[in-house]
Amino acid sequence: MTQTGWVPVALSKMIEPGTSAGVVAEGAEIVVWRDTSGTAHAWEDRCPHRGMKMSFGFVRGDHIACLYHGWEYDESGTCQYIPAHPDLEVPKSICVARYGVAESGGMIWAHLPLGSEPAAASELPVMEGLRSLYLDAPLADVIAALGAERTGSMIAIEHAGVALRIGVQAVSERRSALHITLPEGTPDSAKPMLLDWCEALRRQVEAREAVA
Amino acid sequence: MILHNYDLFEDCYRVRLLASCTNQALELVNVDAFPGAEEKSPAYLELNPLGRLPILQDGDLTLRDLSAILIYLAEKDSEQRFLPKDPAARARMFDWLGFACRDLALAAEARAVALLDAPGDVASLRAKVRELFRVLDDHLTRQALKGEGFVAGATPSLADLALFPAFALSRDFNLDHDEFPQLRLWARRMRQIEGFITMPGIPDYH
Repeated sequence: MTQTGWVPVALSKMIEPGTSAGVVAEGAEIVVWRDTSGTAHAWEDRCPHRGMKMSFGFVRGDHIACLYHGWEYDESGTCQYIPAHPDLEVPKSICVARYGVAESGGMIWAHLPLGSEPAAASELPVMEGLRSLYLDAPLADVIAALGAERTGSMIAIEHAGVALRIGVQAVSERRSALHITLPEGTPDSAKPMLLDWCEALRRQVEAREAVA
Repeated sequence: MILHNYDLFEDCYRVRLLASCTNQALELVNVDAFPGAEEKSPAYLELNPLGRLPILQDGDLTLRDLSAILIYLAEKDSEQRFLPKDPAARARMFDWLGFACRDLALAAEARAVALLDAPGDVASLRAKVRELFRVLDDHLTRQALKGEGFVAGATPSLADLALFPAFALSRDFNLDHDEFPQLRLWARRMRQIEGFITMPGIPDYH
C-alpha cells in the first residue's frame, strides 16, 4: 500500500515561521520549512553540495541555508549564495528538488513521489492541530486499530464527542504518523482526554506489533 | 568557582550553560578526557574517586554529582531565576531534573559510545533514549495545552536547562528530531534564554 499523491507530513502549527524540520514519507527524506513570510516549502532533504540534510540547517528570510557550508537556496530551490565564494555568480543548475506542497485542514501536505505533477489539493475545512503521533507500526495496522475507513490520506472518526480528522502518513514500511486535528472551538476541557487516547492508541498498536 | 571541564562532554556543557544563563563566572580547567582519560589519573582520582567529570570546586567545597552541581549553581544565582518559588512547582521541576540527570544519562552514554569510543551498544541505547524523548514530547504537548512552554511552568527552569543538551545533541548518536515536534519548538524557545550558549555539535545559527 504505497502512499502517493498528497500526503500530510506535519501539523501546520508545529512548523513556525523561520523554522525547518525533517520528515520521512514512504522512506523519502523531506525537509519541511516555513519562510519568515509564512509560506511552507517541502524539498528533498539533501544539500546538492555534500548531501547534508537541509533540515539540519536554518531559515533566513525566504532562503534556507545548509548547516555544513552555508549554501543558501531561494524559494525556487535554486542556490543563490555560497559563503566560501561570496563574489561568485552561482550557476543556476545548483538546486534542490522540490515537492509539490499545500497547506489545508491544519496540515502541511507534500505531493509524492518526488517529481510527480501535483494535482490540485482539496480544500479541507479549517482545523486545529492537536498533535502528531508517531507509531512503530505499518500504516495498515494503525488504520485497522482505528477501525475506520480511510479517504485518500484522511480518516474521520469521533472520540469523546469530538469529530477528529486525522491525516495519515506512512513514514516507512514499519513506521507511521497520525496528524490529529480537531474542529475549531473544541473546548480545552476535552483535549487532555484526547491526548490520553492518543498515547493509549500508540501503546496498544505497538504492543500488538511486538507480539506479531 | 572552578569547573574541571571537557568541552565535548554534555554534562560539562550543562554546567557551563547554567552558569552562563545565571551570569556566574566559571574558571575552566580543561581536562584531557579524550583520548587522555586524565579524569582517571591519580591526581584527578583524589578530587573525584569516581573518575568522572564535571567537578565543581568553590573554596573548600568539591562537588562531583551533576544534579548537586546544578542545584548549587541555581541557588547561588542572586535572582534564583531557574528555581520556582512555589513548593509544588519546585517539586515538579525537581521531578524533571531527576529525569534529566538520571534517566537521560542514557543519552550521554549513547553519545559517548558513538563519538568517544566508550563501550556499549549504541542501537539499544538509542532505542531507550527514543522512549524517553517520547515521554518528554508527550509531557510538553500537555504543557502546551495549559499554555505553558516549559517542563515545569510558563518560564524556563533548571530542569529545562538540564534537559536541553540531551535533545540538542542526539543527532550525534543518530537519533533524529523528526518524531518530536514539541521538543523542536521547546528547543527553539530554549535558545531565546538570555545567556544561552552552545557547544560543539549544537549549531549556533541565531
